[in-house]
This record gives sequence, C-alpha cells and structure tokens, in this order.
Amino acid sequence: MRKWTTALVVVLAVVLAAGLIGCGEKRQATIKIGINAPITGDIPKVGEGTKYAAQMWLEGIQAAGGLQVGDKKYPVELVIEDNEAKAESAVKANTKMITEDGVLAIIGPQASKQAIPAGGVANDYQTLMISPWSTNPDTTKNRPYVFRGCFLDPFQGPVVAKFIKGEFGFSKAAVLYDVASDYPKGLAEFFKKAWEEINGPGSVVAYESFTTKDTDFSAQLTKIKDSGAEFLFTPQYYNEVALIVKQAHELGFTQPIVGSDSWGSAETVKLCGPDCYGLFFSTHYAAAGAQGATKEFIDRYQKKYGYVPDDVAALTWDSIRLVAQAIEKTGGLTGDLKKDRQAVRDQMAKIKDFAGITGNMTFTEEGDPIKCAVIVRISDKGEFEFYKQVCP
Amino acid sequence: MAFFMQNVINALQWGSFYALIALGYSMVYSILMLFNFTHGDIFMTGAYIGLGVATALLALVAALGWSLPGWLLLVATIIISMFITSLLGVLVERVGYRPLRSAPRASAAITGLMIGIILEYGNLALLGTQRLSFPELIQTTTYSVGSVYFTNKKIFIVVVALLLMVGLHQFIQKSRWGMAMRAMSYDFPIVPLMGVSLNLIAPLTFAIGSALAAAGGILYGMAYPVLDPFMGILLGWKSFVAAILGGRGSILGAALAGFLLGFIEIFTTMVFPSTFRDLIAYSIILLILTFRPYGFFGQAHSTQLRL
Amino acid sequence: MGGSDLNQPMLKPVLIKRLRDFFAPVPALAWLAGILCAVLIEYQWGDALAVALYLPKVPPLFGATLVLKQPLLFPWAMLFVCLVYGVPIVLIGRLTAGPANRAAAALGRMPVWVSVLLHLLLLYIALHIWTETSDYRLQVAKLIMIAVMLTLSLNVINGYMGEFSCSHPGFMALGAYMASVFSLLLFKADRVFGAPVLPEAWGPYFFPLALAAGGMAAALGALVVAIPSFRTRGDYLAIISLAFMFIVKSAIENIDAIGGPRGLGGQPHWSTLPAVFAGMSLCIWIINNFVRSTLGKALNAVRDNETAAEAMTVNTRRTKMVAFLFGAFWAGVAGGFYAHEVRHVTPGGFGIQNLAEVLAMVYFGGLNSVVGSIVGAVSISFLSEILKPLLLYKWIVIPLILILVMIFRPTGLIAFRDFDPRRIVGPRR
Repeated sequence: MRKWTTALVVVLAVVLAAGLIGCGEKRQATIKIGINAPITGDIPKVGEGTKYAAQMWLEGIQAAGGLQVGDKKYPVELVIEDNEAKAESAVKANTKMITEDGVLAIIGPQASKQAIPAGGVANDYQTLMISPWSTNPDTTKNRPYVFRGCFLDPFQGPVVAKFIKGEFGFSKAAVLYDVASDYPKGLAEFFKKAWEEINGPGSVVAYESFTTKDTDFSAQLTKIKDSGAEFLFTPQYYNEVALIVKQAHELGFTQPIVGSDSWGSAETVKLCGPDCYGLFFSTHYAAAGAQGATKEFIDRYQKKYGYVPDDVAALTWDSIRLVAQAIEKTGGLTGDLKKDRQAVRDQMAKIKDFAGITGNMTFTEEGDPIKCAVIVRISDKGEFEFYKQVCP
Repeated sequence: MAFFMQNVINALQWGSFYALIALGYSMVYSILMLFNFTHGDIFMTGAYIGLGVATALLALVAALGWSLPGWLLLVATIIISMFITSLLGVLVERVGYRPLRSAPRASAAITGLMIGIILEYGNLALLGTQRLSFPELIQTTTYSVGSVYFTNKKIFIVVVALLLMVGLHQFIQKSRWGMAMRAMSYDFPIVPLMGVSLNLIAPLTFAIGSALAAAGGILYGMAYPVLDPFMGILLGWKSFVAAILGGRGSILGAALAGFLLGFIEIFTTMVFPSTFRDLIAYSIILLILTFRPYGFFGQAHSTQLRL
Repeated sequence: MGGSDLNQPMLKPVLIKRLRDFFAPVPALAWLAGILCAVLIEYQWGDALAVALYLPKVPPLFGATLVLKQPLLFPWAMLFVCLVYGVPIVLIGRLTAGPANRAAAALGRMPVWVSVLLHLLLLYIALHIWTETSDYRLQVAKLIMIAVMLTLSLNVINGYMGEFSCSHPGFMALGAYMASVFSLLLFKADRVFGAPVLPEAWGPYFFPLALAAGGMAAALGALVVAIPSFRTRGDYLAIISLAFMFIVKSAIENIDAIGGPRGLGGQPHWSTLPAVFAGMSLCIWIINNFVRSTLGKALNAVRDNETAAEAMTVNTRRTKMVAFLFGAFWAGVAGGFYAHEVRHVTPGGFGIQNLAEVLAMVYFGGLNSVVGSIVGAVSISFLSEILKPLLLYKWIVIPLILILVMIFRPTGLIAFRDFDPRRIVGPRR
C-alpha cells in the first residue's frame, strides 16, 4: 500500500516539477495566427495543403527570427484547428481560436460550406479572417472583417467564355458541373450567363450536373454528346476532371474540354494522363511556366513535401503573406488584442497591388481581390504552359 | 435509338458495381441477418489492395524481363486481391461481429460502421491524402457501332461481374457449403445444432462477400481510375439499399436490384434534368417498397429484431 | 507489507462503498448548491488562480483540451479543476445535505413541476455563470445540448421502437430549413425573401413558433417513412428511411428559392443559452414522460413482438405513427436550433457523416434509455472536441473506443434506463 502511495507521490512530484520548468520561462508576446483547415472529413487533401503551406511559411519566419512589426521582432505561432469539413466544427474552431487562443487573424476555412458560417463568427468578434479558397459571395458579403484570397466566379466565367469565342469561334457550349459543390455551381452559372450574352439565348445546349462524390458521368456525357455541343466546359476539381475527360473520350466525345482554376493541380495530369493533353483552362498561375516567386514557392514546396502544390496551397500561401503584410504595416502592436485586430483589419483593406504568387491583388470594398487570370494549355508532355493573360 | 443504347451500356457498367457490392451485403444479410456496414470500406480497401498488387506485379514482371499480356496480369491481380481482401473480411468478422453475436443486431451494425471509419482513416494515415491513380493494365480500345461507343474495359467489367454472380449462385445452390448457408438463412438458431459450425460459416460468408467487394473494387479502379479513401461510403450505402431491395434470402435478387438501381440512376439522368437524379431515383425505390414491402424476392417474414 | 497485497482486491470495493455511503444522503439540491458555488468561485477568482498555476487562461473544458496540446500544463489544469470544482462541490454538497434535504422534502409536498423547475433554474444559473467566462465554452455547451436533443429523438425510434431508422439527418434538415425560412421570411431583410414582414425586435418571442414549424415540417416528412412502416418493418424500413434521407437532400438542392445547394444563411442568432437550455429541458422532460407512459410501453411491446402486441390490444399502427412523428418532431426542433446557432445550413451538411455520428451517439450511450442518450451525446461530442489535436488519428481512436464499448456492453453504456423526476429532486434518507 505504502509502496504505491510513494510511487504516486514521486510521479506527481516529477510531473509538477516538469510543469514548473516548462512554464517557468518568461512569457513573451507572440503573434498567433489561426489556421482553420479541414484536416479530417471528406476533403483531407485540402486540409493538408493548407497546413503545409502555413508551416512552410512559419519556417521562413522562424529562420528570420520572427515577424518585424514596427521596431520589434515578434515570434510567430500557428494555431492549427481541424474543422472536420463540417460547418459547426468550423464555427467552434473559430470561436476557440479567437476567444481562447487569442489569435490576431485567421486563415481559412477553405470550402464555402465552412467559410460562410465561420466568417460570421470572425466578423462578430471583429477579427480578420481570410478564406483563401471560398468563392461564394456570401462569405465576405457585409462582413468588413472577412476577406478572400481567390477571385470570384463573376470574373472567371466571362474570361473563359470570351477566350473560347475568340480562340475557336464556337457557338454551342455544354457545361457539366457538380451541383452540390459551391465553386463549380457558381462558375457554371456565370459561364452560362456570359456565354449566352455573347451567343444569344439557347447557345448553352447542354447544362448537366452531378452530385459530389459521383464517379460515373456517362449518362450526362451521353446527353452532352447527343446535344451537338462544340466544346465542354467543366469547372471541376482535378480528381473529377480525370474521370470526366476519360469517360468523355470513351464515349466518343472528341471536342475540346475546357476548365477553370480548379484544374491547376499537378494531380490533374498525374491522374488524367495523355487524355488531358492539349486542353485549356483558366487559372491564377501556371506551374510549368512559373517564374520568380511563384517558381520559388513551387520548388520549395515540392522539395519539402514531395509533390507540386495545388491551388489551395498557393492561395493559402498568398493569404498568409497578406496577413503578415497587414500585421507588419500596423507599425507596432499595442498588446491589446482588440485594438491590434482592428489595426490589422484596417491595414488589410488598404493593401494595394500585393505581389502574390497567384497574381497581383487589390481588395474591393467587399474584401474580394481583383486579379488577372491566365489561360493555360496542357502541353503534349503534360506540363502547364502559359498561353494568354486576361485581366478584368 | 443510339442514344438509348448508349445509356443501356452505361447503365450496365454502373449497375455492375452496385450489383457486386450488393452481393456481399446480401450474403452477410441473408445468412447471418446482419448489416455489414463495413462493406463499402472493404470495397475501398479491396481497390487499394488491388492497386498494390498490380503495382507489385508490374514491378516483378519488369524485373524478370518477361512480357506478359495485360489481361493475364489483370486476372492475376483480381485473384490475389480477392484472396487478401477475404482475409480482411474474416478479420472484420472476428473483431467486430463475433463478439456481438448475442447482442442486438444494430450494435453489430455500429461496430461495422466504426471499423469502416477506421479503415478510411487508417488508409489516410498510411498512404497520405493524395488520390492515387489505378495503373492501366490493359490498354483501352474504343469500339463503335453506329454512334454507340463502348470500350474493351466495359465489356470486361460486365462479363467479369456476371461471371462472379453466376459462380456465386452455383456455389450457393450446388455445393455443400452453399447448402449450409442456405439452411442458415432459413433457420438461424437450428442449423448450428445440426452440426454446422457457425464459427465456420460466418467467416466464410464474410470472406466471400469481401472477395466480391475486392473484385468490384478493382473493376471500379479500371473504370474510374481515381482512388480515394472515402470512395466506398456513398457507393456502399447505395448498394445496401440494393441488397435489401433484392429481398432477404435471395442472393440473385440483390444482384438484380443492383442492376436496377444502376439503370434507375442512369435513366433518370437521361430523361430528367440531372439535378433531379437522386430525388427521382430514390422516390422510385420508395414507391417500390411501398407496394412490395418485402423486396423483390424476399419472403414475407416477421423480422424479429434480436434486441 | 505482504498483508497489504492480500488486501488489494478488497480495497477498491470497500473504498467505493464508503464513498457511496458518505454521499448517499446528498440530494440533488445540495449538489446544485455545490456546483453553483464552484462556478461562482471560478467566475470570481478563476483568472487569478489560473495565473498562479502557470496556466495561460482558465481551462475551458476542464483542462481536457490541454492533455494533448500542452501535456506539461495538464497537471496544473487538473489541480485547477480539483481546487475550483472538486473541492467546493464535494464540500458544499456534503455540508448542505441536511438543510437541502429538508428543503427538498418541503418542495416534495408541492406539485412535482415546482420542484423540477426550481432545480432546472438553479442548473441554468450555474450553466450561465460557467459559460460567462468563455464564449468557446458557451458554444460547445450549446452544440452539445442540441446533440442531446437529436440523440434522444433518435433513441425513441431506434431504441424504444427498435427500428433501424437512417432518416434522422433528413428530419433535421427539414426542421433546420423550415425554421430558417420562418425566421428569415418574417424577421430578416434577406436576399431571397425580401423585406421582413414583422419588426425584427419581435423575433426572439416568435422563435418557439419557428422551432415548432421546423418540428412540424420534420413530422410531416416523417409520414413518408411512417406509412410504409405499417406494412413492413426492420430492414426494409432501414432502406426506406435511407432513401428518404437521399430524397430530402436532393429535394433541397433543387429548390433555388431556399438557396439550393449553396445553402441558406443569415439566420438571426436566436439560439441563445436560455433558449437552447429550455428546449433541451423540455425535450428531455417530454420524451421521458412519453416513454414512461402507456404509449411508451406499447412501443417496447411492438419492438419485442409485434404480433403479440397486436393481440394484446396494442394499436400498433397508431403506436408506430406516434413514435415516428414524435422522434422526427424533436429532430426538427434540434435542426431549428442548429440553424440558428451555426447560421448557415447546406443540404450537404445533413448527410451520411451526420447519420454515422448520431447513430454512434445513440448506441454508445445506450439503447432504450433517456439517461444513456444524454451520456452518449455529451461524451461523444466531448471526446471529439478534446481529441482534435490528434488530427487524423482522432477518427481511429474514437471508433476504437466505440467498438470496445459495443463489445463489452452491447446495448451501450447505460441502456434501458429512464428516470423518475420525483426521485431525482426528492430528498435522500
């Protein structure tokens, strides 16, 4: 009996002593940045890209000895919270980071399903939040504290429509999109609108949809082929792109297939293979033709994690650098979180011509960036070639 | 007409997957009266095992400098993967279902569900979040009759699926093991008293079901060569619908219901706007069940939930 | 020394028995007094104590979130929890046992609802003070309470009636959308529905109506599942309900007026702590009474043997119908609360993932059990919150725990138990 008690006391003493040593260090003012990412749930790949980009950024900052704000260098800490790709978890994660961890700003959530409700929380607590990937207008609408890192669908849809008209002179379009996912649905709608403005009503001859996680598109593609469309626009993510393109070819659809920035992942070609060669898509940046900072980012990421970053990682990288720039521009932190958060938000809104790896950005009143798009062609070697630049 | 025929071919392929997965569900359900909610994830694991086996075989063949025809490799891949996955099925039975044999059926269903989640996230933790692409063991060739297009893969998939179904049917109807299984599905408590060990039949049932799921997984990998750890969830639940729709005690019914589900999904897309697919397809299922409350081939029976 | 080893097996039961005897005369009222005291202490001196104990802040969830993130701080957090909660609750609970017993006895002479209301009020005050210190705590508490309602309502169908219903996410979605439409239409200037019909300040008073509308919508939807259940049951019902879930999701996706797949947002933030607490209390109270009533017993009879129940003059159709509508109603109400807490709902959010979670809560807590549902919902939500730092491995650990529970207690942790409010609020010896 006594033996056990002694052992227990010893263990407790050791643990307490360790605790004492662990917390004995003087507390230093650190800048905390929250990352709200879908690490578990049905889009773990997105969460991983977010996490990796943020950690890579942190490494650079740590190597530089911290973030220079005014005349002081602050150490930076990332608070990474998993939102499980669920709305309520994203809301909980934001509340926790803002009220418990005391973050200065939040990066994420990525998908609109989580970014819209989580943005509400950030706005209520007057904390800057930037969603790198969410394209739904509701994310930033009437929310002065919420920004986004990607361009909105109303811009990209017309870009693609104009490019195709100018390049091929087609007049009959087909669209295939995921009705249950925010980004493809929005883009499909804006593309349809833009196309019909150019070619008159009824020029979108097939407007077909499927639901997230579907893998068989044969029925929709058969309909599209039957409709006599001259090309297919499919603003889908890379995993679906591979399936759609292959199945289209197997069904004898030989017309061009055009995509959007969600194609811009190295995985597109890896999964799709020669079927995707020669196709066009619009995007923020072209990995193969990348130069300067963009190339540097891609090389660093690939060296560290073993694969070419996709758009999520690139957009997260830009977003976190935007936040860092806003923090630096405040010219000094007061230590009062409320004031500092306000200052960071105000600086963020003022950022002009930010040189991001996904293009130059300036924010509108609503917190949406204005940037140029690039048309990329997948070469016969499977590389993304720069083809054309289109600015709004 | 060509449009219609094309969709028939599409539906045949899509239905094959539902049918193959539903068969596995139906085996466990008909014979042991259990919901095997791990099945969708066993299908996923089977596809990944197939990927591993195929890659290993390709490397081996390359190392030995042989030149084997693709279809031979494919058949070898299917057979080896079916075997490995059937071991997984036995394991699932041993860990998740045997300890709960006297428990309410729903509790066993929950352990199955949980093992499924472990398989999904175990896969994520092991292989990372990247989606993997299934290697092309046979070259795709596209044939066309008029304006109806089909590929050699589609033919292969449908033929293999049908062969497996017929094989299973023969096994259940003709072999002694099959007889034991059928007996089990008629009267669950009595058969063990007649000298047929439940501890033999149950793992065997799981093994056969899992092997079919693995075959389904590999065929799926051929048709839709993008694998991801969550691919079994939706397909699994939908096949579950097909399995029960087929009727208890009817393995063939499950296969037919699987094809039916595939046809309903493809043809609703053909006729109606594709956004309405799930709405219309599942309303049809609901209607069928309202008028045939015991499925297609199931006998009316009072399912005594062992609670 | 040798003797102590021999005593080892005896030690635990004796200790537990002593503790039990020691606390046996403590009534619920005294415990509540202790809890109230503890939260007041935390409210007053929590921050100071946290600083003294090297903690960055008052640990929000009893220090549980620290175990994995900063294990070195965990002992301090435990010490904090002991000092702030453990000691006051035990001490005050035991010390006030005498007067509390007399008070409970006095209350016992009044109608039971007076006593219950008083207890609930005390509990609410404690909860209110507890959540005052941290908004994160508040949000977790609210979402857990919503999960309790959901779990309980599913237990009525899956546990008490013994069907395997998979349609709960569908019911929840119907409730969430109906309640959202109600409040957006009447009280909020919205993109979809235009200007509000009534002044927004009235809104919170109409919230119960919105919730009831949500519940009704869910109950109406439940008819689709309930009517086929007259002719079939068990497994076929499972797929009918599953099909229903797919149908609801697809139907909402196709109605552009309520946002379609993009979801419906901008609901007013009406799911406040008092509202959710009142909703949950009402839900537990009513469901507890329901399952203890004749109708509840009829449910069990239908589950155990439908034919025999029919022979014993149980109206099986009515019983099934009532149970389905009842379960669906409360799921709809929970959905309404959810929509007004998260303030953005998408049809994709009510899918298979959601189903797996609710099922896990029901079967983990215990079938056929009101207490079990509460335990299941609270513990799974809590586990899922504290295991977050494990990232991917969280979803290997939680299923493993569930499998172990299923293997060792196949009907769940606390199965077949509902409670008698009279006994809970009443005095002890």
